[in-house]
This record gives sequence, structure tokens and C-alpha cells, in this order.
Amino acid sequence: MPTIEISYKDLCRLIGKNIKLEDLRNLMDFVKGEIESIENDLLRIEIKDTNRPDLWSTEGIAREIRAKLGVEKGLPKYEAEKTNVKVIVSEKVKRVRPYTVCAVVKKLKLDELALSQIIQLQEKIANNFGKGRKEIAIGVYDLKRIKPPIRYTTVKPDGIKFVPLDFEEELTPKEILEKHPKGKEFGYLLKGFNEYPIFLDSKNEVLSLPPIINSNYSGKITEKTKDVFIECSGFDFKFLIPALNVMVCALADRGGKIGIVEIEYPDKTIYTPDLKPKSAFVDIDYVNKISGLNLTPKQICKLLEKTRYEASLKKNRIKVFYPAYRQDIMHQRDIVEDIIISYGYEKIEPQYPKIFVIGKQSEMEVFCKKVIEIMIGLGFQQILSPILTNKENLFKKMNLDEEMVIEIENPVSANWNVMRNWLLPSLIEFLSNNLHVEYPQKIFEVGDVVLINEEMETMTEDEKRLACCIANSRVSYEEISSLLDAVLKNLGFDYKLKKSEHKSFIEGRVAEVFVEKEKIGYVGEISPQVLENWKIEMPVAAFEISLKKLFKKT
Amino acid sequence: MKYRLTKEGKEYLENGLPEKNLVELVNSQPQKAIRLEKAVVKIKNFPIALKWAMENCWVDKRDNEIFLLTYPERYPVQEALEKISKGEEVEEDLIKILLQRKLIEKVKTEEEEMKKLIGKEVAELTPALLKTKIWKEVKFKPYNVEVTGKKIYPGKMHPYFRFILEIRQRLVELGFKEMEGPLIETEFWNFDALFQPQDHPARDWFSTFRLSYPKYGRLPKREIVERVKATHENGWKTGSKGWRYKWSYEKASRLMPRAHDTCLSARTLANLPEIPGKYFAIAKCFRPDVIDANHFIEFNQVEGIILDESLNFKNLLGMLEMFAKEFANAKKVRFVPAYFPFTEPSCELLAEHPKLGWVEMGGAGIFREEVTLPLGVKVPVIAWGLGIDRFAMFKLGINDIRYLFTRDLEWLRNKEVI
Repeated sequence: MPTIEISYKDLCRLIGKNIKLEDLRNLMDFVKGEIESIENDLLRIEIKDTNRPDLWSTEGIAREIRAKLGVEKGLPKYEAEKTNVKVIVSEKVKRVRPYTVCAVVKKLKLDELALSQIIQLQEKIANNFGKGRKEIAIGVYDLKRIKPPIRYTTVKPDGIKFVPLDFEEELTPKEILEKHPKGKEFGYLLKGFNEYPIFLDSKNEVLSLPPIINSNYSGKITEKTKDVFIECSGFDFKFLIPALNVMVCALADRGGKIGIVEIEYPDKTIYTPDLKPKSAFVDIDYVNKISGLNLTPKQICKLLEKTRYEASLKKNRIKVFYPAYRQDIMHQRDIVEDIIISYGYEKIEPQYPKIFVIGKQSEMEVFCKKVIEIMIGLGFQQILSPILTNKENLFKKMNLDEEMVIEIENPVSANWNVMRNWLLPSLIEFLSNNLHVEYPQKIFEVGDVVLINEEMETMTEDEKRLACCIANSRVSYEEISSLLDAVLKNLGFDYKLKKSEHKSFIEGRVAEVFVEKEKIGYVGEISPQVLENWKIEMPVAAFEISLKKLFKKT
Repeated sequence: MKYRLTKEGKEYLENGLPEKNLVELVNSQPQKAIRLEKAVVKIKNFPIALKWAMENCWVDKRDNEIFLLTYPERYPVQEALEKISKGEEVEEDLIKILLQRKLIEKVKTEEEEMKKLIGKEVAELTPALLKTKIWKEVKFKPYNVEVTGKKIYPGKMHPYFRFILEIRQRLVELGFKEMEGPLIETEFWNFDALFQPQDHPARDWFSTFRLSYPKYGRLPKREIVERVKATHENGWKTGSKGWRYKWSYEKASRLMPRAHDTCLSARTLANLPEIPGKYFAIAKCFRPDVIDANHFIEFNQVEGIILDESLNFKNLLGMLEMFAKEFANAKKVRFVPAYFPFTEPSCELLAEHPKLGWVEMGGAGIFREEVTLPLGVKVPVIAWGLGIDRFAMFKLGINDIRYLFTRDLEWLRNKEVI
């Protein structure tokens, strides 16, 4: 979710009305915005719609609010005139960054606030909507310093030198990737290519090295800049076109005149920007079915006009036109949401759904609750621990050889990089954290372990288990086995213990637990080596059984 | 008078009187005689055995040889021991012998014992005092009753677990059925079935855990996969334009620890749900968040869906309002437009908690048709998700989310049951 910074004064100026701050908070609902902080004139606003880059600027927010307040209504009108600016796209960019769409905006009167919005919008679009500049890189240039036609082509890493933005020395593209902060940040996007994309004018002046950096000469705009050239480059028109439209409409809202650029591809010529409104239909019945609002066609049209649509009734449907910068409308459901937001969530009377069905808990959970009840009755404290852990805890510290477990490829920390495949390490870890707490310590956990099982759809299988530990100056196999007996007998199971070997336990003091010939777990006294590994200086006896296996037998 | 066996008496009862054992041994010899040194080894308590066997004229000793005189028909002392052990009467002369041999001792009756206490101050009230009614004639030593009891720790439920249990209970009372599903999911159920495009930022390396082992799972039945694919690519028959890109089977079959409960809702929708129907899940989810007081990489989510032909946005708000009142004691609620890739319209719920002020409680919406239709559901589906950890923290009086998985036993022991 993008968070943007805007000027309160600038916002009011663009709305054309002074808005009280408390009213502004409510108006933010209509742009899915939330004011996070206010510092003098500076508002930090989080815009929750990740699919509406048109709302990520003062201009976009003001545009919606103008319609909401009735300052304007319906479609915002944008005109674009032909210009003689031409961009020639070389065959060579096909592999590295194949497409560009461009525009010109003239007669701008930019002040500091406007400039900061242009830069912020460009960044937010490229980073959030353009996925870290991968899909969209945007350049804005001082048109006066460019001699068209502009060429979009490629260059060898050391094929040209120019001064990148905010630098003084000339660098080759290769040097930019190594030295310029933006080169370091985004250079990976050009990794593996032996030629880099570049915009050059007819005098071979560099405009930019997309998606890395503009040139300092033409790629820098100031308050004095009157006319700008804008390009968006990337891999897919479905991202580039809305990005360009959002940029030029924002500038047009500040009084700029939009100009069309001819782009000559090897196989076709296109003209951008194309600001022709898009159209769609909504069914009146559908609007009312989803909203539950019982709106008349006239009301619907009015609500749409307040949210920058043009709407007219066509039989049982409403034909709408919406601005070219919107690419988020995929289904008439999207338009229904705009209608409901335009109506105002706060004006809707909530209605508890009158649906009567019988509730039911998961049977496994009910079973677990019985187990927990027995353990608490036996005087044990329940603990909860994370499922994520590490191999050291699961194996090495438990005196075991490593086994295959479910491993996270991108862990946040090496402490949490695998899923536990048994519970006892979590309990032993718990004990090791309470060395100075009064003994006896009697704890248990009912929790999930995750096992590899290639027969399953997800190649893995969750298993609910119960593990229990007693740590005391004297513990015995007798004591732990009678606790296990209490649990199993009270759950109504007959079981058998079979002498076993398990390196986490003392030899000769560990047994496997069998119910109906299926092994369900272990019981025994924990090996002193394990205790030493965890720095525990009290004997520990423990058992771990599978509740999933037991539950299947109920 | 009552008697009971001494330790020695009990031993003889069990292993036989020494003189009996000696007589039997001699009698079992072919010449009815045995060498002294042999008998010493075989008979425990040999001197006693010899003394009493000779006194009874059963055996005699000559030249280091013991030989049988008369083989007794009975061993009256042995019989007496048995009788006393069973509480039966024994003749006076035998009692004398037994007492002399210290094989039995007198048992003082309770009454005799208790009588000694008359007029005295006693420490405890005992069953004997009650039975003999002597409690009426004794005084009880007063205690310092103002000393607080020694600390003991009962077995208890983890307070966070109890909190979740209560929510589960409330949801069941509200008519919701619990959904279950695997902790490790394919991206198909976690994202694709929920119409999240495969290049969505939520699916990138930094926002979602991936597995290095095992890496891929299996996709569900072909029919569903093909519909979901088509919906992403061109909208299929949902009336949508779709996301317009080439959908990848490989990406969809990647495995991940589930990032939200909504994948359980997706599975439920695909699995012929009841209509009308209400379902919920309280389940563990995983996200690679920066770990701090408000974020942990594992957390519980509460989610649910309601399916019915009649459902609309007003019902969504009605349900959210009820949750705010039920789970946050909210007096006031606010509904704010929001964005989720799988719902449209979408809404965020803010509740005015009596202590915490305005709190974001969760998100909700009506599932997009791009979600429901490919999974085979033709009616509107309201979907909601509540963040409950904040309320759990408030209730438990903690301000660090990591404490929900605390390893502090003292805290757990001392935490009151709330």
C-alpha cells in the first residue's frame, strides 16, 4: 500500500475550496485513503488501493474530491493535441526492455509543491504499480533541452558517457551501475544483458538509461521547466499505458496541455497518450442485488457522476464511460463498488444476515480439548510454541541425526527456517528458558508438527500431537509412564509399550507406544546428553504422542 | 487383647519357622540325618532352629551330626503365627511362647491410645479421635491462621489458547462451521484461486515464505485449474476481463506456508459447500514480517464466509457490526472502503474499543465472481477476516505480540485465569 506525502494547502488549491481537516478525514474514504499523520502543512496519507495509481497524488485525490463535493461532475475532460515530437524505437531494445509509451505536456507552471508531486507520483507508480521499476520505469524531461526525434535503442555498457542525475562527472552506463545510488539499487534489472536500453535525442544527447537514471542535462525538471517530455518503458502495454495516462492527467490538472507523441516501432506506429474514455455496462438489478440499496437508475447515474464516471440509462442497463487512466475495472462488480463508495458506507444501514444454520467445531479440535482437560487435571501447565524452528533445535541438540524437514527458502532469521517435525524440542527449549524457576516444572503442548508425505497434494501433512515433560530433582520412567497411562486410559485407549531405542532418551528407559498395532509415540527419560546440550541441570521425563493417529481410532 | 506379628514373625510366617525347616530337611535325608556343617549352610537362623527343634525333641545332635528323633504331626507355633496373622484367637500358652520368642507383640487398641490424649492439646484431628469420640475430651492446638498459604501452581490452560477457544465457541454459537486445511499450501489455493495475479507484489520473495524443500505440490482437479487459469488470463465466463497475462502452472503449484486463512475459504468453496452456509477458521498463518512487538512471523487469523443467494453489502456491514460488538465490546463502528484482490466491494471495520479507542478490527468484502464462479459457487459469498491478536494482547495485559508464545513459565504460572 503506497503512503504518499501531500501538502494540505496544495490539496485545497487543487480542489478549489478550503476543506476543514476533520472533513478531509471523512473525504479520504472516497479515495480509500487514511491520514496517517499531520505535520503542519504536510499530510501523510496511506492509499489502500494498490490497483489505483491515479489516486496516489494530490492531483488524483483532489480530482475525486472535486466531484464528491460537486465542484465538478462526471468524466474529467482531457484533450490532447498532436505535436511534432517523435520517438523511434530500435529493434535492439526487443530483448532488454521492448516497449515505451510517451507524451508531452506543455505550458506548465510548476512550483515546489507541484514538482515534489511529480517526482513522488513517478516513484510510486514505478515502485508499487511497476513492481520496483521492473514493469514500469518513468522519465520526465525538460523538452526544451531535447532535440527530437528521440531514439529508444541500446548501448554497450561502456559505449557512451553522460552525467547522470544529481552527479557532476560523466560516467559510462557500466560505471553508473557501479557508482550511482540508483545504479546500485536497480542495476540488477539489467543483469545478464550485454547492451543496455537508452533514450537519445537527435544530437546523441542522453535522456536516460532506463530503468536506472535520467541524465542531469535534460532529465532534471525545475520550477522553470515549462514543457516536459515523459516516457514510460517496460515489457507490457497493460502497465505502461495506464502509468503514462496517470502521469499526464495529473500534470494536466495543474494546467498543462497534453501533447501526443508519434512512436515508430519497427513493425508499427502508435500515438500516445490515448486519453479516450473507456466504456462498460452495469445492470441495474445487479447493482441493487449486490449493494442491497434499492437505487433507481437515476440515483445510480448520479452516484456514478460523483465518482468521475459518465453514465446514461440504456434499457435495463447503464452505460458508463470512465477515464483512460483507470485500468482497474475488470468486471461490473468494480463499478458497483464505486457506486456504493459514492453512496457512502456510513449512510448504509447494516443488516445482520438472516441465515440460520447449525454451527459446528472441528471434531479434531474437540478431541484436542479433551486431551488438554486431562493434562490440566494432571497438574500440567499448557504452553504454546511456534511451529517454525531450526534444525539445530530439532536434531543436534536432541542428540539426533539430521532428517529431511520442511525448509523455508527465504527465512526472516536462521532461528526460524524449518517447520518442526516433532514437539519435544519445543518443550525442552521451554525448560531451558526457565532454569531458575521453581521445580518441579510440569508442562505440555498440544500443537502441530508438519511432516513430509509425498502422497499428499501438498507433499506434506500436518499432525496434531501431545507432548509432555516433567523436570524435577527426581523423575522416573515409572512416573512418566503412569501419566501416559492416565491420558490414554481416560481417552478410552488400550495400548502397549515396546522397548525401543531413541537417542534423545536414556538407553533402556525409552519405549514406543502402540495403539491397535500402530506406533503413536515415545515415552521415556531424556538423555543427559540432551539435557547438557540445553544446559538443563534437572532430570527430565517426557512423552510425545500423535493425537491425529489417536483421533482416527475414535 | 490383640496381637500382631513382629518383623521376625512375619518372616517366619512367610518362609517357615527355622526349626520346622530344619526338621523337614533332616527328614528329607535318606538316613534321616545330616552333617552339621551342611545344615548350617542350608538353614537360615540355624542356632534358633537347632535350639527349638531339640527342645521339642524332634532332633538330636551327636558327633557333629543331626538326626531325627520324632517327626512332628503338627507345628503348633507355625499354626499360631498363621492364626494371629488372620486375626484369629490363639491359646494362652502359645501366646506366651510367641511373646517370649518376640514373634508377636501386643496391639494397643485405638481407644487405649486415644485415652492418653484426654485433657491434652493435640495437633491434629485424626480418624481415631473421631471414631473413639475422644475428640470431645481434647483441645486442639490453635494455628497461626493468618499466615498465607504456601504457593502451589495448578495445571492451567495457556491464556492465549483460552482466548482463542472462547472465540471459536462464540462463532459456533453464531452458526459457523469450522473449516480445516493444511498448513503448507500450494500457491494455487493461497493466491490463484483467490484471483491474485501471479505477479502480484504479495506473491514476491519479500512478502511470502517459500519452501526450498519440498518445492512443489500437486494442483487440484483439472476442471478447477483450467477455470482459474482462464479467469486470470481472460476472465473465463465470469464477465471479467481477467488480469490478461500468461498463467503458469508451475507458479501455482509452488508450496508455501499459508499466508492467510482465506485459502481455507477457497478450498471450502471448491468442495461443494452448503448453501445457505456459514463457515469459519481460526488458523495459524505465516508471513516474513520484520519481527517486533507488533509483528511475528506466525500468527492466528480468524476468517469466515457466508454463502446465500440473498446476501448483499448491507448484510456484510450487519455482520461486521455484530463482530465489533461481540469481540471488542464496541459501542461505535465505522466502515471504510478498502481494497483486497479477492473481494469487491471491500470494507475495513473500525471499532471503538472502550479502552483502546478506534481500532482496525479487520477486513471484509463480497468475494469477486472471479473467485466464486471458477470454484463452482454461483451465489454471493461474504468473506471476512478479523485481527484478534490485538484484543488478545489487551485481554492478557501484554504489549508484545511475541508474548503470545511466551517461554516465561513464571508468567504463565502467575497469570490469573481470565
